[in-house]
Amino acid sequence: MEVVRNGWLKKNAWAAVLVLVGALPIAGFESEAPREQEVKPSGIARKAAVHLEGLRIREAALRRQLAALAPTGSYIVVDTARNRLYVRRRSEVLLAAVASTGSGTILDYPDRPGARWVFDTPRGEFMIQSKFMNPVWVKPDWAFVEEGLEVPADPAQRVEAGMLGDYALGFGNGFFIHGTLYTRLLGKNVTHGCVRLNDEDLRSVYRLADIGTPLMIF
Amino acid sequence: MGSGRITALLQRRTLRSLPTSPDLGRIFRLACWVALSLSTPALAVEPSSHGSVKGNDLDALREANRVLEEEIKLASRPRVYWLLDLSEGVIAIKGRGVELHRFPILAWHMAGGGSVAELFRLRAHPSVARPKATSGDEASQELIELQDMPAEYELVFDPPLTLFVAPPAHERPWLWARSRLREWFARFASWGRSVLVPSQKAAGPRLRLTLSREAAQSLAWSGTEGMPVVIKSAVPP
Repeated sequence: MEVVRNGWLKKNAWAAVLVLVGALPIAGFESEAPREQEVKPSGIARKAAVHLEGLRIREAALRRQLAALAPTGSYIVVDTARNRLYVRRRSEVLLAAVASTGSGTILDYPDRPGARWVFDTPRGEFMIQSKFMNPVWVKPDWAFVEEGLEVPADPAQRVEAGMLGDYALGFGNGFFIHGTLYTRLLGKNVTHGCVRLNDEDLRSVYRLADIGTPLMIF
Repeated sequence: MGSGRITALLQRRTLRSLPTSPDLGRIFRLACWVALSLSTPALAVEPSSHGSVKGNDLDALREANRVLEEEIKLASRPRVYWLLDLSEGVIAIKGRGVELHRFPILAWHMAGGGSVAELFRLRAHPSVARPKATSGDEASQELIELQDMPAEYELVFDPPLTLFVAPPAHERPWLWARSRLREWFARFASWGRSVLVPSQKAAGPRLRLTLSREAAQSLAWSGTEGMPVVIKSAVPP
């Protein structure tokens, strides 16, 4: 008993136990709060880094997805504000041409009050639907009204050769990319909605564009 | 055996089971080593590689991804759309995800409540007086050209968003002043509506864009009714 009361055990063993118990929180065995204090900032940083990396991976995937929606082959861009036509493949410009696009003017129907034609080049995305060599112009009603003529009943009287140049590329609703006799008006908004080019540029566009080629007009 | 003897035996066993002084010294040293070896990893400093992660990087990436998601939806259909990139300071006219044309934003200012993190559609844009072609008088007909487009105007979108476009003050002071007046009036009208009809839907954010005269006219030219617009917000540094 004397050993227990006055010996090494009394002096040191309890100190050893105390040291061990005191060391446990440092070692992370006990007491959640101090461990949180040590781990929390790095945990947030790690989570943020993982999140950031996830966002970067997502961004790269989305960029690839968006790029995949771009036309794979050549496509035509028409800038109606500056009267320019471009044929592009990816970011490469294959052809840059001066064009003429819609005048934006209006013409009233002669016998229908309130009805009118608006001579705008349509904006949006289209595609080349037809290609013609040596096209003839089948004059629509407005061409006669504009000239102050009667609209003919006989369709044969609508046909006019040599007005559209050597080629024509249709993109729907009677709109075409075609040639012109009025080359001095290229670069101006003078057409009834079609896109006019000079002979050389028209030949290039005809050669570069196939049926199905996307056409973006703004 | 009396109770005194039993107690004495127990005490002796207890004394035998208790370690001697050299044992306790070893245990103490071992305990110190265990405590030290276990505490070292807990006390070790985390690598600082994550210290460069900023909240704004995350915000910028989130915004970039949101815009890309919107663009993918738009580019999957045949339509031309605008991308107002406030972080880069450009307006891009795009189709199929391809940039068709771009012009710089000289300055911008956002005001009013609401978020711009959605897809907007152009509801109202400046009207242009279209000249009339007269029968039998083709040669003399007037045309609409880019120069005929306004350089100062407002564009109204759905969901509510108003864009005030004007050239810089030093370039066209009168147009700039008119734009500020227009914006002030819109703000006043919005405030008036909110006071008179509290249940009315909010007017939405107001975005003031300072563009060069030609860029402002180009924007007015390219806008068509229902045109989709995506705005990429600028994340503050």
